[in-house]
Amino acid sequence: MRVSLFVTCLADQLWPAAAAGAVEVLRRVGCSVEFDERQTCCGQPAFNTGYRPEARALARRLIEVFESSDADAIVSPSGSCTAMLRHYEQLFEDAGWRARARRLGERTQELSSFLVNRLGVEDVGASFPARLTWHDACHGLRDLGIRDEPRRLLRRVRGAELVELSPASVEACCGFGGTFSVKYPELSVAILDEKVDAIERAGVDVVVSGDASCLLQIGGRLSRRGSSVRPVHLAEVLASRRSSPP
Amino acid sequence: MTRPDDARRAILRAIRENLARGEASRPDPLPGGSPPDPLPLRAGSSQGVRTLFTEQLAAVGAQCTPVCGEAEAGRALARTLAGVHARRVVGSDAPLVQRLLHALGDGFVLEPLDRLSRDELFACDAGVTTAQWGIAETGTLVLESAREKSRLLSLVPPTHVVLLSAGCICESLGDALARVSVASHAITLITGPSRTSDIELTPVVGVHGPQTLHVLLLEEA
Amino acid sequence: MSFERSARAALADEQLRGALRRATTLFGERRRAAMATLPDWEGARDRARAIKDETLLHLDRYLEEFTANAERAGARVHWARDAATACEIIGRIAAERGARTVVKSKSMASEEIHLNAALAARGLEPVETDLGEYIVQLAGEGPSHIVAPAIHKTRGQIAALFAEKLGVEPSDDVAALAAAARQTLRRRFAEADLGISGVNFAVAETGTILIVENEGNARLTTTLPRTHVALMGIEKVIPRFADLEVFLELLPRSGTGQRMTAYQSLLTGAKRRPDDEGPEELHIVVLDNGRSAMLASPVTRQTLACIRCGACLNACPVYRQIGGHAYESVYAGPIGAVLSPQLFGLARSSELPYASSLGGACRDVCPVKIDIPALLLHLRAEVVGRRAGKGGVLERLAFSSYAAVMARPRLFEWVMRAARMLRILPPIGAWTKFRDLRPLAPRSFREQWRAGLRDQAAP
Repeated sequence: MRVSLFVTCLADQLWPAAAAGAVEVLRRVGCSVEFDERQTCCGQPAFNTGYRPEARALARRLIEVFESSDADAIVSPSGSCTAMLRHYEQLFEDAGWRARARRLGERTQELSSFLVNRLGVEDVGASFPARLTWHDACHGLRDLGIRDEPRRLLRRVRGAELVELSPASVEACCGFGGTFSVKYPELSVAILDEKVDAIERAGVDVVVSGDASCLLQIGGRLSRRGSSVRPVHLAEVLASRRSSPP
Repeated sequence: MTRPDDARRAILRAIRENLARGEASRPDPLPGGSPPDPLPLRAGSSQGVRTLFTEQLAAVGAQCTPVCGEAEAGRALARTLAGVHARRVVGSDAPLVQRLLHALGDGFVLEPLDRLSRDELFACDAGVTTAQWGIAETGTLVLESAREKSRLLSLVPPTHVVLLSAGCICESLGDALARVSVASHAITLITGPSRTSDIELTPVVGVHGPQTLHVLLLEEA
Repeated sequence: MSFERSARAALADEQLRGALRRATTLFGERRRAAMATLPDWEGARDRARAIKDETLLHLDRYLEEFTANAERAGARVHWARDAATACEIIGRIAAERGARTVVKSKSMASEEIHLNAALAARGLEPVETDLGEYIVQLAGEGPSHIVAPAIHKTRGQIAALFAEKLGVEPSDDVAALAAAARQTLRRRFAEADLGISGVNFAVAETGTILIVENEGNARLTTTLPRTHVALMGIEKVIPRFADLEVFLELLPRSGTGQRMTAYQSLLTGAKRRPDDEGPEELHIVVLDNGRSAMLASPVTRQTLACIRCGACLNACPVYRQIGGHAYESVYAGPIGAVLSPQLFGLARSSELPYASSLGGACRDVCPVKIDIPALLLHLRAEVVGRRAGKGGVLERLAFSSYAAVMARPRLFEWVMRAARMLRILPPIGAWTKFRDLRPLAPRSFREQWRAGLRDQAAP
């Protein structure tokens, strides 16, 4: 299967290991991967802050970039940016653009969902000896309905022990929310601290998520609090072949 | 200030104009649009419905005593009233309630509903009424104002004793709603005693209405 | 005070945050348990939303049908375009009847129009009779939650308040506190000559209004006084009597986690015969106050589907940290953040649409499936479009530069490379005050791709 990677600007610049990990895993399960270097940002920061013309311009660009590829699927190591592509339609009044936006949304899948639901793969041959917990990123969980997919993948990772957070915390938001984290930093961190407390209580080595944005938020606070828990992207875990703890 | 009719016209016009504007630019179609079909009435086995009703009554903190025939109902009523140390008792105008109250022995002061002042009503220990329907799924009692003067008696005294014919238990709320009539200007649904959780979400019963709700479930003799 | 400052103040209040954390968590658990008792939760949500959508698309017709049927049953229906008119109508009803003691049961619409202050200006002092409302009234505050107005207070705070205002012995026993309120309020009920209530649902088919409660104070308010005034927003109407079923399945489960609240009063007109029980007069005040404007687009229209259960407040990570007062509006939490700007003007509430991490927990718990994140985004676009926000020139400049850079991949790469080499950090001190910032990667993904990742064979 031919896959076009929607890398997201965040993974590209801040978490390239997630993007490289996605490439590695996709190739391992038999996909050929292409990457169109014309892609930049999906426009979510502008859309979520209320700057629709700016978001619309970037949406048009990305629609055109991916329309030029006849790959079987567009796959992204981000639930949030995948969800943004699914929102594109509402940026347009024009029926033609709405249809093109809808088509892009339909072609695009988040990595874990693509592996489990489209390819039917759960064991990607990964090995990652660590106690880890999964952070459900809100957009992946609630906009895309991704709950079991990453857990099924993580349970098949050799050496990895998946520890769920307490019921009250497992689906709790990390408080990132894009510009929210900068507009209301104290509030964002108050929400974050509850999540980080739960992660630390779980006694894990690693917190895994499908979104670099949540990992920046959680990891930034873990680091500030001097915690030994490390933030790792799902794609990094799935790509890993290591035999000793990270 | 505008005249009353003007306000009505202005609001209805604003509604129509805004709806028309919404129709003109309609990017996101919403689900639905046509009126949904009413839910079918659910009929249950009467024994199962009765059991569910008494279970749900218990779950919401109401007491229930099954009684067979009027004589047993009278004895149960006396026991219930004595159990909550009720002395001043007021009953509704339902003939059954009046018959049972007048058959009560000594030890009770029967207050006349029609001539009670508000203060006297507030001083009563127990109110006795019937209910027209029960709802099994929620343990709810349905009281219709056109059938009986029960609004205040089921509310003001700290104990409310309700007589309900076991044959009048509906399975669901929908069944009950299909049976009541708005010929009653007040239909009251009662599920358990009065309660509040307004302080630290800690449940307390009897905040404004009755603390004790006791159902005498009447089977035909 | 701005939302930002009041939120910060709330965050510093450990007692408040403790009370909120316990209460919202408990509400959430009870809601989930109650949901499980309804066999087809999703089906009920769909049905309720379909009924609301249908009603809203023909709201004029259903309101007229409701009015005709309510009046046929003996009610008087009044129409109020705005808050001032509604207060004027209710004040006049009270004055004309020489009302002296006014009792009120919980009504968010009455909070919205600041009815108590308007009646006080006429020399009347309405008494809130819902325990939570009574507590916040005694404290001189407004409600901080749609269904639990005093959720922000601990029992210790309430005990101190009652000791001060009611002269009762301070007690940590919740039942004793409730009993003290009951005793005081009974005296007011005994002398009340005007009762004011809200309305949960108004049935067009029959002219019936339905009031949902647990304490019995709404029943007392609507039974004892000679005159009953019910205040309802135009969106409270539903078409058919049978439609009540699905809403009564959803509302108590979502709001308090009950299968059914203790009392539902279905009132159709005033009493019919002189010796019937209940008020001689029923006045229903139908309030617009900015609601009709929400009908103008499908996105905003769904705001009017809200049944005021409060589930979105309990689920909201922001509300759970700061409570209701920080929103500086009678409507708090996610639904408040979308209602307030639409009711009271975007300029006054321009911060509220941003008071969310857009996680969507509110949408998941909403019994009528209101897409609150979509509404928040819609309102953010309005704030930016009308330049009503606080972001100002700098924010606009930042986003237009961002869009300009992102539209040019080569420029984007050049800017990022420069930032990496010069170790330029984005101007977000707000971030780094509490969190470490992950540095830009030594080599971006696209550089790694070009440097050989592209040509690696499959493993």
